[in-house]
Amino acid sequence: MSNPKADPVTVEVVRSAVVAYADEMADVLCKSAYNMMIYEVRDYCCGLLDTSAQMISQNRGGLPIFLADLGVAVEDGIQRYGLDGFAEGDVLVMNHGQVCGQHLNNVVVYAPCFHDGKLVGFAANRAHWVDIGGGRQGFGSSATTEIFSEGLQMRSLKIYEAGKLNETLYQIIRDNIRYPDASLGDLRAQIASCQLGARRHGELIARYGQETVAQAVDTIWDQAEKAARLVVENIPDGVYEAESFLDNDGRALDVPIRIKVKVTIAGSQMTVDYSQMHPQVNSPMNCGRSGGIAAARVAFKALTSPELDVNEGCFRPLTVDLPDGTILSARSPAALGQWSIALPTVIDTILKALSSAIPDVVPAAHKGDMGGCSFFGFHEDGSRFLLMNIFGGGWGGRPEADGASASVSVCQGDVRNTPVELQEIKYPFIIEQHALRPDSGGAGRYRGGLGVALTYRCLQACKGNINFDRTVTPPWGLHGGGEGAVNTAIIERADGTRQTVQKGTEIQFHPGDRVTFLTAGGGGYGKPEDRDPDALDADIADGIVSPESAGRSYGRDPQPVRLAS
Amino acid sequence: MNIVGIDIGGTFTDLVGYVDGAIVTSKTSTVPSDPTKGISNSLDLAGCDTRNLDEILHGSTIAINTVLEHKGARTALLTTKGFRDVYAIGRSNRIEAFNLMFKRPEPLVPRRLTFEIRERMLASGEIETPLDEDDVRAAIDELGDVQAVAVCLLHSYANPAHEKRVGEIIRAARPDLFVSLSHEILREYREYERTSTTALNAFVGPRVGGYLQRFESFLRDGDFDGKIHIMRSNGGVMSIAHAQEQPVTMMESGPVAGMIGAGRLAKVLGLARCVGFDMGGTTAKASLITDGAPAIESGYVIGHHASGQPMQLPVVDIVEVGAGGGSIAWVDPTGGLHVGPKSVGADPGPACYGLGSGEPVVTDADLILGRINAKRFLNGGMPLDRAASEAAVTDKLGTLGLGVTEAALGIARIADVSMSLAVRAVSVNKGVDPRDTAMIAFGGAGPLHAVSIAREIFIPKVVIPKLPGTFSALGMLMCSWRQDFLQTLIGRIGSLAPEQVEEVFRNLAEEGRSHLVRDGLDAATADFRFYADLRYVGQEHALSIPVESVERLTGDSGVVRQRFDAEHDRRYGQSAPSEALEIVSLRLVVTSERGDTVAEEWLSQPFEAEGEAEIGKRTVVYDDPDNPVEADIYWRPALPAGTRLTGPAVIEEPNSTILIHPGDEVEVTPHGHLVITLATRN
Repeated sequence: MSNPKADPVTVEVVRSAVVAYADEMADVLCKSAYNMMIYEVRDYCCGLLDTSAQMISQNRGGLPIFLADLGVAVEDGIQRYGLDGFAEGDVLVMNHGQVCGQHLNNVVVYAPCFHDGKLVGFAANRAHWVDIGGGRQGFGSSATTEIFSEGLQMRSLKIYEAGKLNETLYQIIRDNIRYPDASLGDLRAQIASCQLGARRHGELIARYGQETVAQAVDTIWDQAEKAARLVVENIPDGVYEAESFLDNDGRALDVPIRIKVKVTIAGSQMTVDYSQMHPQVNSPMNCGRSGGIAAARVAFKALTSPELDVNEGCFRPLTVDLPDGTILSARSPAALGQWSIALPTVIDTILKALSSAIPDVVPAAHKGDMGGCSFFGFHEDGSRFLLMNIFGGGWGGRPEADGASASVSVCQGDVRNTPVELQEIKYPFIIEQHALRPDSGGAGRYRGGLGVALTYRCLQACKGNINFDRTVTPPWGLHGGGEGAVNTAIIERADGTRQTVQKGTEIQFHPGDRVTFLTAGGGGYGKPEDRDPDALDADIADGIVSPESAGRSYGRDPQPVRLAS
Repeated sequence: MNIVGIDIGGTFTDLVGYVDGAIVTSKTSTVPSDPTKGISNSLDLAGCDTRNLDEILHGSTIAINTVLEHKGARTALLTTKGFRDVYAIGRSNRIEAFNLMFKRPEPLVPRRLTFEIRERMLASGEIETPLDEDDVRAAIDELGDVQAVAVCLLHSYANPAHEKRVGEIIRAARPDLFVSLSHEILREYREYERTSTTALNAFVGPRVGGYLQRFESFLRDGDFDGKIHIMRSNGGVMSIAHAQEQPVTMMESGPVAGMIGAGRLAKVLGLARCVGFDMGGTTAKASLITDGAPAIESGYVIGHHASGQPMQLPVVDIVEVGAGGGSIAWVDPTGGLHVGPKSVGADPGPACYGLGSGEPVVTDADLILGRINAKRFLNGGMPLDRAASEAAVTDKLGTLGLGVTEAALGIARIADVSMSLAVRAVSVNKGVDPRDTAMIAFGGAGPLHAVSIAREIFIPKVVIPKLPGTFSALGMLMCSWRQDFLQTLIGRIGSLAPEQVEEVFRNLAEEGRSHLVRDGLDAATADFRFYADLRYVGQEHALSIPVESVERLTGDSGVVRQRFDAEHDRRYGQSAPSEALEIVSLRLVVTSERGDTVAEEWLSQPFEAEGEAEIGKRTVVYDDPDNPVEADIYWRPALPAGTRLTGPAVIEEPNSTILIHPGDEVEVTPHGHLVITLATRN
């Protein structure tokens, strides 16, 4: 960097401020949003970028998988309009599949920031719209094979030009999506959030000057880079490989999807090589390059500096080799509707590759999917409903502790399940159980966490999507630990027939039908025979490991458990 | 009236009273093993005879410490069949998003003590499955040596009939148990948060109940026959009987009372909108005060932000940051300088205490910068060692290549910026322009840093009240009796049947009246305020909007609509006046003035100065480490009303120090408060 170093005090001041601004943007977006994907699932990110679309700061507590990837969206706009092609009061919308690499529901909104009439950066956010039109509803649909049937694409379009609403674009959006009131409400929240970020960005520059802020940001990036390098240096040099499989792409049900990664550590640089990844598929289970890069970044961030804020500097010690045409780098016009489904497994597999090199840092595999359900139909008054819920599952046993139960995936952070009482208030279902799933955690010195069991009883006819995976390669144990139980769904019809389902799109349900979702447990860490007997007795007393399973997996005598106090 | 407020904090027990026409105060060490001993000490030190007192107000950290230290009762939980694990599953979220070893809240009740009961309510309040009383009895047979039971059944907020019956059966079978029913704690949907709040209540119930009983006996044994009131998180006080039933409502005490006091002072000074700012040893806290009252939040997390216990009850909206006098300055391996969130406790304390911590903290920086008087810390009770401060800075921050003074200034500045973010969070983030506000600063370290923080975010005026070092105990004397009631009722304005809305209003008011009567208060003179939690149809988060009468919702709702749109615009930068509005919950806040306004009157009483005001000069570092400035040093108790002076200056008083920057103007109000007007700078 050519800039001289900013003084350490100013650096710390700018560091706190830019993250606080991103958090403030997120708060506005979350609290005024209209769909649960934003207000409960927190499927969004907010941040400030400089004029070369580099990430200055990002909000804390959003979705991990949205890692410093607002840049590609903003960069596209810079290329299209040029840096002098933005005016104060412009707001742009962007969800183009090929550029963003994600499903079209993820709409980026961004606004240029000005100081003294000069462009100084951008404020941007991405949020999951409940619907973007096209031939699929909710999540988990395997119906599409091309991006064109997945909804409306908007490539760096100005929804506001110098403060004036683009009525034509607004009308096109309104007429092409299923829940225009909700999504346009969300758009309003996104715009207000960007305007706020742009204002704060301008205030910061007014206070400290553009040069000083730029110097401070450079230093913050350098420090983030250095923190990560210090960790990578301590991983033994070498080439580490791992492989796992996803069950199928949801359409060709007999073809497992190969997830193969090669991780090279050389000094303080880590390279994730995806060149043997499964080719792109003729279903929506693809993502663009940014998805593959994001997966490597999540693993890298978790290993190097999980406690530090996210910015562009964190990832300088990471190289990603990703040829075009894989499921993580699909070419147009691939469908992207389930863009994120493979990513938790990709991340687990990267961690697995390194588990022998850094056994004290890497836990056993977690449930390995994004875990969610959606039901849709019409209320008695004719209005549409779309119920979406996110499930937790088991995480792998850790080097020094049992895995966490009922927790969202590695790609999801402060993502919340929807309260049962809230679902029953809003939708025509009775939920009969929301429970831990005993015996689902892989056996081990440190047991895998438990999955959950969630049963819906339909009060009205509706349709639903089910999309469960990871049965071919269940959540694996490490260092002698056992596998976790796999994801599965059970449909019990009102007439008593029963069917086990892994994947299904627009399944028809009738009143009285039940669906039970059983989510996967985590793998165990270390040999089951090394488990502390008191810990095993406590598990039995708590009913999360059955006496039979204790005998089978841990070789425990079937004597009665003494109840710990 | 002779009244005394006693605030037990982690380190100190503070007492402020108004006895025989004069303010009395004391500050003593908390006695964790026997808090009543600490109370006894503080009464003695202040020269208070309990026989002579009419009322005692008390705030204690016992409830929150019981949770943080996990020292509560062995507690059981009864739930609806199918939902045994609601408490363990929580919301499944991982706040520490990138941490593979993340932690989530641990239930306070183990699974083996969680029992399912066959019964089912629907969201409408209709019974889907009747209560199976045999299940309840079977669960009771399994309780063994538990001391407390929490009951949280699905949709009990809509119809508590089953929960009530379960409560009756348990209380009849096991009168020895502390029983907590969720609908008695809060009638709001969201089963996890309601379960957690109810379990918290049960978990702390026996211990807090025992403590309150000892506290009361201690006072009655001392022939005290006045009233006792306990501080609660919502900024009000309650009777001992109520505190024993709902100890979960007394989680926050001291800081909340301070903010109530700041609100009362804002009224005295005619400040429509201000920020209360409290800085102590480990944290700084800020709260927005509008028209004399701090904002109220509908819940928070007790303990660590990622793994703490959710508590879904009204609490004064206080934003806290880990920056205080004891916050440690440190350099990370990449060369970044940080302050906090780790802090040294009172023991061993900052390097300048000379007790061997060797960590440079904010107080060390303040000392190096000449901002505090080494000889007059804690009223002269603890001489400070400046050389030790300098050694700690050199030792721990030497790699930065900064001079000692430069590094000290950096520490102070970083702490100030971090605290200004808390102030920003309660003002700017809520749509309030700081240029239209003032800051009321208190706590041991607040007055020292207040002006820098105010300048950082363009607050033009800072007020330092009388007794800033024990302001929280003083604030307690000014709290009203207060109880919040809530009932979930979801439906669009205009399509909800008016009778339904009216019934909820009626029930809330009836509940409010019965609580007043139980505490021996007069319902006729109490203040009843209704609010509706509203949102645009489709949204989840709601905003509380005042409604004067039920007709505002059932009849012409234009006024409520306007208020909501305006509030939405203020908070979130946009509104949608054409969209339908939905009610989520109705709230009632009942307050009853306690009848003794002596403390408030003291705030506006003429101030009598005593002693020598100007006590010397000292070089103080403000903004430039290379150019210290000679500042006048004043003794606050001697500054008469009407005094005006201009910085650079330092004003010292027994438990606090006020730093006045060059060019800033101070005025002593007729009542003895200091008002600092900040000079405009670029």
